[in-house]
Amino acid sequence: MLNFIIQRLLSGIGVLFFISIITFVVLMWIPGNPALLSLGTDATPEKVEALKESMGLHVPWYEQYINWLIGFLSGDWGTSYVFGEEILILITQRLPVTLSLAALSLTIAIPFAVMFGVISALYQNKWIDYMARSLMQLGDAVPQFWLALLFLVFFAAGYGWFPVAGFTPMEEGFWVSVHSILLPSIVLAIGQVGPLIRIIRSSMLSSLEQDYMLMTRVNGLSRTRAIGKYALRGAIIAPLTIVGMQLAGILGGAVLVESIFALPGIGRLLLMAVEQRDLILLQGVVFFITSAVVIVNIITDILYRLVNPMIRFGGNHE
Amino acid sequence: MSRLRNNKLFVLGIILVSMVVGLCAVSFFYLPHDPNVMNTKERLLSPSVEYLLGTDQFGRDILSRIMVSSRYALFIGLVSVSIGAAIGLFIGAIAATSKGIIQGLLMRMIDGLMAFPGILLAMMLVAVLGEGLWNAVLAIGIFMIPVFARLSYSLVLDQKDELYIKAAQSYGTSRTRIIFKHLLPTIMPRIITQFSASIGNAILIESSLSFLGLGVQPPDASWGLMLSESRQYTLTYPFLSVPPGIILVITVLGFNLIGDAVNDSMVKRRAAA
Repeated sequence: MLNFIIQRLLSGIGVLFFISIITFVVLMWIPGNPALLSLGTDATPEKVEALKESMGLHVPWYEQYINWLIGFLSGDWGTSYVFGEEILILITQRLPVTLSLAALSLTIAIPFAVMFGVISALYQNKWIDYMARSLMQLGDAVPQFWLALLFLVFFAAGYGWFPVAGFTPMEEGFWVSVHSILLPSIVLAIGQVGPLIRIIRSSMLSSLEQDYMLMTRVNGLSRTRAIGKYALRGAIIAPLTIVGMQLAGILGGAVLVESIFALPGIGRLLLMAVEQRDLILLQGVVFFITSAVVIVNIITDILYRLVNPMIRFGGNHE
Repeated sequence: MSRLRNNKLFVLGIILVSMVVGLCAVSFFYLPHDPNVMNTKERLLSPSVEYLLGTDQFGRDILSRIMVSSRYALFIGLVSVSIGAAIGLFIGAIAATSKGIIQGLLMRMIDGLMAFPGILLAMMLVAVLGEGLWNAVLAIGIFMIPVFARLSYSLVLDQKDELYIKAAQSYGTSRTRIIFKHLLPTIMPRIITQFSASIGNAILIESSLSFLGLGVQPPDASWGLMLSESRQYTLTYPFLSVPPGIILVITVLGFNLIGDAVNDSMVKRRAAA
């Protein structure tokens, strides 16, 4: 187990290293250079050189990369051109919005996914299973931004049940805050339910086929009790650790949903960075999001091993 | 194939995709109206015999714009997935047939690319390359690389210790020849399955990019762009955001259903063998 953790951490560091290089190199290719872009039309060659030097752009790219990495690790993520503020501060200001969105959408998605996943496995190839699977297919095909738009039209603008835009922070009351992000969270949750149902359904199906389920029948347990006590435990705990992998999907969806509902989160910050060509900001946000995804994946990988005894002892979990 | 023909979902998928491909084919010969001609007198009209799906904020015919957009969607889907499949296949095959450092480096690179949430990598590339059709194609193509690299890596790894490969090696066949002559034909069916499943995803990303103003640029039409333009009229004329969304769902659902059905039938065939 310890070996596995060390190995997983090392490969995680390797991945992070590659991400940092990809992010850095790709953004170096920008036509023109950041100094020229930030000075705009009144850029004289002297001004550009001076600014390049002050931004550390006059040294070769690998030195720039090392300087950037050192700065990054020591908490100096640079200053955004557009906002004129430190990037680390910009990110931490917007993080609560995106985190609340992610948390609320998972809180909505998981109970639904467990319910439909388990029912659909118990009644395999019955009408309810077909219904759940059709809903899954439809959920995969409906673009989240379209759903967000329709929800906005009907529930916020049409019926006025929800605010059309904006975020109310937690300090102004828990329920008010939840209400302000409920609609976007439902949209994100609908995107999450499909993949989760798929995992829980197949895990439940394989759990029902295990020898210990036969054993409970031999011992005279009723089907309901056998399922409630043994099959469910085997089927649900392990897949739930995979929730971490959904993070990438949630963060990707957040870019669109935050833009539609005008929520001041990380996704919107990213979009602004792209639109305004604020490359240092873009670099910071991209590296922040991808690192979060990698780190959460490492943690859930390790949790998955800890929770699932079949994997822990090197058995086959398929 | 006969099993596929009996699969209702597969048939439904074929019908849906044929509808969109048909719409696209017809758009080259006949359009009800010029999709780019503005006519402010007839703006935001409800559906009628003259304008089957009504008109948009500039008085342009929505049906014609949807038909023209299908060209972009199908084109971007096919080309970007082809780019991703070709490069991914190449990287995956190289990684699976090499050892040690090269394999480790290539796979960490693929893991690194995979850590970028779907639209993020595309957005970053668009920020660097600039908005537009071709840059969106390239960005989505790069996003598709790790999917195909992972798949071909595990497929090649599965095959490379098989007897027929060993036999070819013992004859002194070169690595390139083994990859192209022996490995590729064996793993192609699975790659093609992934290909059709990925087209739906690629079209979804294209529409998201265009929705954010980073893909197809006005005055050209794209379903994502039409939805983006409809945002200003959510209060006054919400119908504007309905037709492009429905055609988008039809297209993506169609490609997904075909991909899933082909994949299922191959899993069953392998289980039966």
